[in-house]
Amino acid sequence: MRHFTFFGGKGGTGKTSCAASYALSLAARGVRTLVVSTDPAHSLADAFDKPIGFQTAPLCPNLWGLEIDAEVEAKKYMKSIQDKMLDLVSAAIVDEIKRQIEIAYMSPGAEEAAIFDKFIELMEAVGRDYDAIVFDTAPTGHTLRLLTLPEILGAWIEHLIEKRRKAMDLMKMAARYDKPLAERIANDPIIQTLTARREKFALARKYLTDPEASIFYFVLNPEKLPILETARAVELLSRHGIAVGGVVVNKVIPADAGPFLEKKRLSQEGYLREIRGRFSSMTIIELPMLDDDIQGMVQLQRISAMMEGLDS
Amino acid sequence: MNKLLKALRTGWEFFVLFHHGTFVDKNMAVVRKEAFDINDNLMLLLFGDYLGIPNPMSYYMLELLPYVADDLEPWERRMQNRKFIIAEKAAQYDFD
Ligand SMILES: Nc1ncnc2c1ncn2[C@@H]1O[C@H](COP(=O)(O)OP(=O)(O)OP(=O)(O)O)[C@@H](O)[C@H]1O
Ligand SMILES: [Mg+2]
Repeated sequence: MRHFTFFGGKGGTGKTSCAASYALSLAARGVRTLVVSTDPAHSLADAFDKPIGFQTAPLCPNLWGLEIDAEVEAKKYMKSIQDKMLDLVSAAIVDEIKRQIEIAYMSPGAEEAAIFDKFIELMEAVGRDYDAIVFDTAPTGHTLRLLTLPEILGAWIEHLIEKRRKAMDLMKMAARYDKPLAERIANDPIIQTLTARREKFALARKYLTDPEASIFYFVLNPEKLPILETARAVELLSRHGIAVGGVVVNKVIPADAGPFLEKKRLSQEGYLREIRGRFSSMTIIELPMLDDDIQGMVQLQRISAMMEGLDS
Repeated sequence: MNKLLKALRTGWEFFVLFHHGTFVDKNMAVVRKEAFDINDNLMLLLFGDYLGIPNPMSYYMLELLPYVADDLEPWERRMQNRKFIIAEKAAQYDFD
């Protein structure tokens, strides 16, 4: 068991079902577990057949659920900035730059950034409120961007800090004979804010790239396209230093499924062989296609024992 | 909490000084000008999206707004001027 376990993959392959049932299996083993959805189109509540929202909801002994709401998180963030602003500048100016705030609020990266902030906050709660967090992530592209965000933005922020520092150094030269001013320059709030942000990204990087702390599993179905996509995504995560523990092959048609599915089952067999070959260095578990959707504790328990295979 | 507020206020006062200047030494005026220019360019990296330059992390830049709010409008004007000057220079060379 790792502190952070991620389930990712193409849309509809079974990420939510896997995350939910794995979290259930951890809870059953006495691990205090939080299962979190970072997918803006949440379906964790459907999987558990219980209400879950942007606030932590208890699901069963040792298990809690949460669906990150980007809008709620962004609003909290805006509010804290506006409060701070009112302490520092006049209300008239705050009003005047509302437009700017709105632009940033609706910028393309905003939703991801808001989710990411919550994500870091949750990671910091491990060891204190929880022993493990299981992440049910959005389809591959979104998740890859989310996980590689701290590395990419970390470099950018470093560049900003350097620029500001250069301006400050020149200011310090100019203020050489003005001690109080020199002191204020040394406590520049811009550098402090940027540094705090950089530290946050560094912390996320540290968690994500520590194979003892974080592990990523891809969920795929035995079909042609997902195999290629998975191989590519595994490559990309490895390049960013994120450990991929294995793949969960979901919706495998059982041998006794009957003649109606026989043709499909045979083609799955070919893809299964390919998957076993391609990902032979990792853990592979195979989950059968069930006769019904996976919804509610009873159904989840049907596969949660199999999910324990990830820890052996 | 009070400490934080005080720190923030200190930061703010500094900003006022930064932009209105309390410097006497003439040689230092050059250095100061350079510092201002670097800072204006930095502002472009932080808040370029307000001028239509996409910024990958404008959401995270919002937390800097409390410290630059007062200078934002003057800065936008300076940037517009800069654009104007460049356009004027270009016209001299018949670029268009
Ligand atoms: N092994 C299975 N047998 C039968 N039905 C399954 C199985 N695994 C998942 N399902 C069903 O398939 C649908 C998609 O599963 P799930 O929601 O877990 O996928 P997802 O990858 O999270 O999808 P999305 O990309 O939409 O978030 C659900 O209706 C689920 O109940
Ligand atoms: Mg899902």
